[in-house]
Amino acid sequence: MAFSYYARLTRSQQAVYRKSDEIAEVRLPQPAALHPAVTALTTALASEDRPHVQRATERLIRDLTNALGVPPVQVEVLAARPHAKWGELHGLYTVERGKPPKIQLWMRTAKQRRVVAFRTYLRTLLHEVGHHLDYALLRLRDSYHTEGFYKRESSLFHQLVAEPRSTSPSAEAWFRRTPDERMARVAATPGQVASVLGSRGAQALAQRPALGAWAPVEVVCHLRDVEETFGERFAAILAMDEPALLEVGPADRWAEERQYLRHDAATALAHFRHRRGESLETLVGLSPSQWQRGGEHPARGRLSIDMLVALMAWHDDNHLEQLTRAVEGQP
Amino acid sequence: MPTMEEYAKQPREQRLHRLTRTGDELAAAIKGQSDAVLSRRPDAKNWAAKEIVCHLRDAEESFGGRFEQILAMSADPTLAGANPDRLAEERQYLRNDAAEAVGAFRKRRAETLEIFGKLTPAQWEKGGIHPVRGRITLDNFLSLMAWHDDNHLDQLRRALAGSV
Repeated sequence: MAFSYYARLTRSQQAVYRKSDEIAEVRLPQPAALHPAVTALTTALASEDRPHVQRATERLIRDLTNALGVPPVQVEVLAARPHAKWGELHGLYTVERGKPPKIQLWMRTAKQRRVVAFRTYLRTLLHEVGHHLDYALLRLRDSYHTEGFYKRESSLFHQLVAEPRSTSPSAEAWFRRTPDERMARVAATPGQVASVLGSRGAQALAQRPALGAWAPVEVVCHLRDVEETFGERFAAILAMDEPALLEVGPADRWAEERQYLRHDAATALAHFRHRRGESLETLVGLSPSQWQRGGEHPARGRLSIDMLVALMAWHDDNHLEQLTRAVEGQP
Repeated sequence: MPTMEEYAKQPREQRLHRLTRTGDELAAAIKGQSDAVLSRRPDAKNWAAKEIVCHLRDAEESFGGRFEQILAMSADPTLAGANPDRLAEERQYLRNDAAEAVGAFRKRRAETLEIFGKLTPAQWEKGGIHPVRGRITLDNFLSLMAWHDDNHLDQLRRALAGSV
């Protein structure tokens, strides 16, 4: 507790401060239901397009207020942060009598004017939403920066962003790398899958490490079938202006319906290799402007071909790790 | 067996009714057949019974994806061409269990019928550009699916009898 600050408060303000400090968590009824909105926000920030970030931010905040059953809050996403001697303003929550409450967020740093990193942006967003919740959900008469306040902010953050178990770069980190790095990454994957599978037999490869966790053969079939979808998306984007990109699967449904557990892993890998070869052939032939062509994905928002390759790199990392664990019997 | 053009002349209800029967017809056709019979290709070029069932299952998903794309876009989308033989190889249809595949087909078909059930008259006329068939509306797709079902059910019965 910040004692000097606390000591200057009136007795009734101190009571509000103590109550705020005591509440360490805001629990979302179904955090997973908000994950698509979080994913869309990562894509929006990667696009560096303010209207896109505005829409994704509105969506996430609306989903949050709906999930918690509190009144909505207006949102405004602005470009570069204002800066002063004390530092940069990241976000602001304002309530004026007779007006709806409002959150303002800045998506670029003051000095470098770079787009704020996703986690920092989400933290700021949740910080400002936290002020709104103090009034609208917890019915506090004031909203103080108590230790409890920061814990509540963190509790929301961790419900929205599953901590990666891996050491691989996140999707957003792949967005920041160079196209050559991304291409080198995706070109290497079939060979890496082959070396993880090694000479293991069919029975070992069809073994699920835990209930609900895929067996190695299922991971390979998933990579194969997703590669087909990537190919279809590249083709759609090149054939049409800003096509609607569809959600496919979902992955578990494909595994079940297409009976992945009965497939032969080596054959599936050969077909994945073939499909990946076709993807690379399409990509290397693209002109710089074609790399920036894109389509609208229902969950992630606008995706350019370049961004799809970043997602492919991240997706490969993710499933290679899963495959490496699965062959060792780990979920 | 009606041609696609003949189906196109039938009232929509009749065509929709045709689609509702296919799950049961597939189940009846494969009932009691051994895995060896279901996996037997009548010749080097023609599909085995279980490959036909898996094809219908995956085609149903693909139809659904096309409808979704047509409905999501204001302009006619360019529809990708299908390559069923490639999918049969890649997705290892011969290793599938035919009865499970029929179960999955039934679910996908029910979803298709649900989409059809909600279309407005204007939406029935929305369409896409097919690489072989040219512009094809959702109403045309309904006729195509009715014909496609007949065609593959017939092929399935022949495959089970060992003929092409």
